[in-house]
Amino acid sequence: MKWNIHYRETWLHHTNPSLKLMVLLLLFIGVLFVHNPNVLINFSLGLLLLFMLYTGYPWKFLLLFFLPFFLVFVSTASSMILFGEGKTTWFRWGLIHVTEESFLRGMHLGFRALSFALLGLLFSLTTRPVCLFYSLMQQLKLKPKYAYSFLAGVRLIPMMIEEFQTVRNALKVRGGVNNGLFEKMKRYAIPLLSQSIRRAQRIAVAMEAKRFSDDNERTFYYEIGFGKNDIMLVVVFIVVTAVAYYAGVHYPYIPVEDVR
Amino acid sequence: MPATTKGLKLVDILTTIVISVVFGIIYKIWGPLYYSVKPLGFHIDQLIYGMWFIAASVAYLLIRKPGVALLAEIAASSGEFIMGSEWGLEVLIYGVVQGLLAEVVFAAFRYKRFDALVVSLGAIGATIGSLVMDFYKGYIEALAPWNLALFLIARFIGAIVISGIFAASLVKALEKTGVAQMLRPASKDDYDALDR
Repeated sequence: MKWNIHYRETWLHHTNPSLKLMVLLLLFIGVLFVHNPNVLINFSLGLLLLFMLYTGYPWKFLLLFFLPFFLVFVSTASSMILFGEGKTTWFRWGLIHVTEESFLRGMHLGFRALSFALLGLLFSLTTRPVCLFYSLMQQLKLKPKYAYSFLAGVRLIPMMIEEFQTVRNALKVRGGVNNGLFEKMKRYAIPLLSQSIRRAQRIAVAMEAKRFSDDNERTFYYEIGFGKNDIMLVVVFIVVTAVAYYAGVHYPYIPVEDVR
Repeated sequence: MPATTKGLKLVDILTTIVISVVFGIIYKIWGPLYYSVKPLGFHIDQLIYGMWFIAASVAYLLIRKPGVALLAEIAASSGEFIMGSEWGLEVLIYGVVQGLLAEVVFAAFRYKRFDALVVSLGAIGATIGSLVMDFYKGYIEALAPWNLALFLIARFIGAIVISGIFAASLVKALEKTGVAQMLRPASKDDYDALDR
């Protein structure tokens, strides 16, 4: 995402976007199969370290980005802690039943949400959408008509946000009665959607005229390949995963190996 | 433009993606709303979960072609992801699975019915997709049985109301603006109208 924030480019910015996406997706799927809280805590800490050192953003922005993730941590953990099943009761009050097992499971879920969030942030803070889609076309053979449509869509986001604000101001000026959530959503959605459809039609005509839909023998304005940073990316993530696993198994913080 | 009518054309793809980006923005705003009602407990949050399936329903009803529901969910979730979703990479995978299962439902109707019932069933499909992911990710099966039941009922009801009934009424309203005609392939009614 393009922010108007000054940031320093690190090696993570200069890796191949497709490779980075694949590595992070693989880790994402890997995390789904981690049931040992010690390993997960180590892994999240490793990601946190990468996030703080190598996304290249100033500290106060990193903290700002991180704030919503903390809320997700709490909200993800809370329902499992309060309503999960378990044997060793710690606390019971009406329907709320906190047990040792549900508490650990809840914390595990919290850390899992945290590591997903960090994986996502590591990617989105270090990748320009333009490079990502060019790389997807070149390395993963995504059809140009999809990639360029996505890029056009991404470019429209600021325009849509502006339109959203216009509609909001217009509705505010006109006042009107409050007839419920769904009616309100419709009032926003219909002008935004109809305008977007008209705009998409016009853009599509222009793009087709310029042969953006043509798949054969395309050349690309940005040529994206691989470099030594990509080796570094793979090595770093292997090391983080291996250390997290080894330390989690051999030097556990809590004597629980499986939260299920 | 390629001469074949098979597959999606650039116009369809672009329109689907642009609509989905609008929903991507809504998906992003929905995040804070979702986790701010979550601590209220009793899964009130699950009632609004269905919003995250709406891109598939609306795109399917508007463009009426195979594959748009899946593309719409993927595009909306990538939009949400690019804008910095609180759930990070998770939303991409959820988007793919939800879109896929909604698409399966629409395919089962051979892309021939476009009403509130079909999109409600599509929403149920997407809900099942999200539950499959939750099962792996969130250990939802370990919730107390009464709590799990509440969770499931709330999510299904929310999905049907938002991504089924509301989506259909939204598209009906859009049809009145006249934009829908630009999108759809000529139907049998149109040809019949020519013969008359």
